[in-house]
Amino acid sequence: MTGTNRSPLWLTALAVLAVAPALVPGAATAQTYPTRPVSLIVPAPPGGGTDIFARQLAELVSTAVGQRFVVENRGGAGGTLGTTQVVAAQPDGYTLGFIWNSPLTTSPHSLTLAYTPDSYRAVMSIGFSSYVLCARADFPAATGAELVAHLKANPSRYTYGNDGVGGTMRLAAERIFRRIDTRVRSVPFAGAGETARAFLGGHIDFYGGSLPPILPHVQAGTAKCLMLTSADANPALPQAAGLQSLGLGEEETVLWWGLIAPARTNPQILSRLEAVFTEAARSDAFRQIMERQGATPRVLGAEATQRLIRSELAALGTVAQAIGLQRQAQ
Amino acid sequence: MQSFSLLLDGLATAITPTNLLLCFVGCLWGTAVGVLPGLGPLAGMALLLPLTYSLDPTGAVIMLAGIFYGAMYGGSTTSILLRIPGEAASIITCIDGHEMARRGRGGAALTIAAFGSFVGGTVSILGLMVAAPLLANAMLAIGPAAEAVLMAMALLVVAAVSSGPAVKTLAMITLGLVFATIGLDQLTAFPRFMFGRLELAEGMSFVALAIGLFGVSELLLSLDDAITERPRTPRLVDLLPTRAEVREAAPATLRGSLIGFAFGIVPGVSHIVSTFASYAVEKRLSRHPERFGQGAVAGLAGPETANNATTGSAMIPLLVLGIPAIPSTAILLSALQIHGVQPGPLMLSEHPGVFWGLVASMYVGNLLLLVLNLPLVGLFVALLRTPMTVLAPAVLLICVIGVFSVSASTFDLWVMVTAGAAGYGLRKFGYDVAPLLLAIVLGDRLEVSVRRALTISDGDYSTFVQGPAAQVFLGIFVLVGALQLGARALGWRRGG
Repeated sequence: MTGTNRSPLWLTALAVLAVAPALVPGAATAQTYPTRPVSLIVPAPPGGGTDIFARQLAELVSTAVGQRFVVENRGGAGGTLGTTQVVAAQPDGYTLGFIWNSPLTTSPHSLTLAYTPDSYRAVMSIGFSSYVLCARADFPAATGAELVAHLKANPSRYTYGNDGVGGTMRLAAERIFRRIDTRVRSVPFAGAGETARAFLGGHIDFYGGSLPPILPHVQAGTAKCLMLTSADANPALPQAAGLQSLGLGEEETVLWWGLIAPARTNPQILSRLEAVFTEAARSDAFRQIMERQGATPRVLGAEATQRLIRSELAALGTVAQAIGLQRQAQ
Repeated sequence: MQSFSLLLDGLATAITPTNLLLCFVGCLWGTAVGVLPGLGPLAGMALLLPLTYSLDPTGAVIMLAGIFYGAMYGGSTTSILLRIPGEAASIITCIDGHEMARRGRGGAALTIAAFGSFVGGTVSILGLMVAAPLLANAMLAIGPAAEAVLMAMALLVVAAVSSGPAVKTLAMITLGLVFATIGLDQLTAFPRFMFGRLELAEGMSFVALAIGLFGVSELLLSLDDAITERPRTPRLVDLLPTRAEVREAAPATLRGSLIGFAFGIVPGVSHIVSTFASYAVEKRLSRHPERFGQGAVAGLAGPETANNATTGSAMIPLLVLGIPAIPSTAILLSALQIHGVQPGPLMLSEHPGVFWGLVASMYVGNLLLLVLNLPLVGLFVALLRTPMTVLAPAVLLICVIGVFSVSASTFDLWVMVTAGAAGYGLRKFGYDVAPLLLAIVLGDRLEVSVRRALTISDGDYSTFVQGPAAQVFLGIFVLVGALQLGARALGWRRGG
């Protein structure tokens, strides 16, 4: 205690020591970047859509750049855990985050987080996918319109699984439920796989989440997806209604994926990353992978992605406030 | 019969030179990551996943599955020889496996573990073939409420199998449950006991805790009695189990297979729960329960078989439903999806080649692992001839590398060192550290499943006694408890 208070010189020396190595080699290494393997943090457990895209992109980019991009899964807390780690990492280009939009544009409304849009730089984004709300085959509604009518007639009767308190699916669904003036009880799970298991076992009434885990069960006839959270319908799920057809088009909330880096990362490194990841995302091989997962390819650059984040953050903030979502953590 | 001919087709796929080589590489790598403390099947599979992109889907899953069950073989080695669990499913193996090694039966213990693993693996593949769709439905019946019941029961079983005094065991379990709450609350993302340390967001690193509590504390304890203790070096003729040991191990192996396979359908921590369930069963059935903790052969053979038997049933939810029940099978799912093979209800009809190729390769792989592991027994046991003054620092180094390799975190190293010192103190005062570690693993899942169940039931606590799965679990528990009490009342056998 006394040691730190006694001499301000101490602090100055420490500060210089801490900052110096971050500044000096930074400029030199931008030319040769990357000289060692790069960590690509995926804030979700292995096996989901984000993980598959990240691994495939990492593979393509590793080949193109000649340096390994290693996917590290840091799941938990709706993706905010891994994202916080990305934001807090050394801004040297060796720790990047391949994220979906939820920890950036949804979680900040329910949690006090260590980051804002100023703490990271969007590098690029690859495309989007709609969330779905699915019921088991015997559910007494066959279309999106019937589902809406049924939910309106039975408030608080049903439960739906989602990807956690800070998750976009939760907000996307609550946005719709609020608009049609009903309530469905939310049960948070650690991921879409867990949600699917509880749904198929009959423990919750609706599956709420991304398409891939539920698609095989729709094909097998055990589940029917009735509503998408995107405005338009999806060719992979013809029976699910897009919000536009239900007259709820302006309530669209979709899932999208992109690459972020800590805010003070060297701009040269950022533009190099934007170029290589954009090229990889535009390749036919990767577009096929996205389509196979029910996602729509739509590559955006750094500027456009950063704009998307800010506008989405503001729009969802309005919704979160309207449905009374409170910040839960200190 | 149709499935038999499909299996033969699968066998033809599995023994093509390429697939055989991939299976061998997977098993070898799996054994390696299983033997090394810190690296487990998950890390091993994630590291080799990118390699599989250029393979065909069958080859990709054959190799990755090889790592998965290969690691279960390797995990027992360091538990037996050094009392350091290679992965979580080998914690129980430390107890009697290491006692056997201390008594010069290390070779026999490794051989029994290898055979047990082989039997367990093979039985579970048979089960996977015969009963996959049926078991998939049983798995789905286990919702949050039933899972909560099962986790609570598992904690009681942990208390029952511990060799220490009841009060001290309960203290350890309570402490473990407290530690299990560290980190971000999974349902509300509220930070608990994190003290501003981001490293604690996911709770304390399990690997660091396990290696610290078991490995480091063991090394510290060995310093205490380094002069007196020299019973470890076995002669080469002692590598094979004696006839008496085989007689004790064989029934335990069979029971372990069934227990492991049954628990494999429980999502999440099945491989861990199965080991101590098997241990508890063996201890209760044994004519000499007092020998447990003192190098009982059944206490090694049962759990070591059980953790391998979970590998087959852990594949069921993945292959039949397309839902990974444990993190390792999530990697298999990724590998399949990248190749456009979607596991799920239609996989058997749409991609029978992949399914049966994988099943057949698991038979082949288990055989390969047995052939691979038996010659290694001699080699591993020879390591014990190394003087402690050389062995202890080398092991400590491996522990440090193992813990650091998981997430490259120096914080985890401090957790390991602190846990080592704490483990030393606890064990000096007669506290068993196994219940502490198991309570941390189980407590986390217990809490989450209780809260999910109550959300679903809208706060109605009767949800825990409703539903077929919860009732089955409770029924078994009440039955076993009643038998136990009855036996005790009649004075048949003293409780151990």
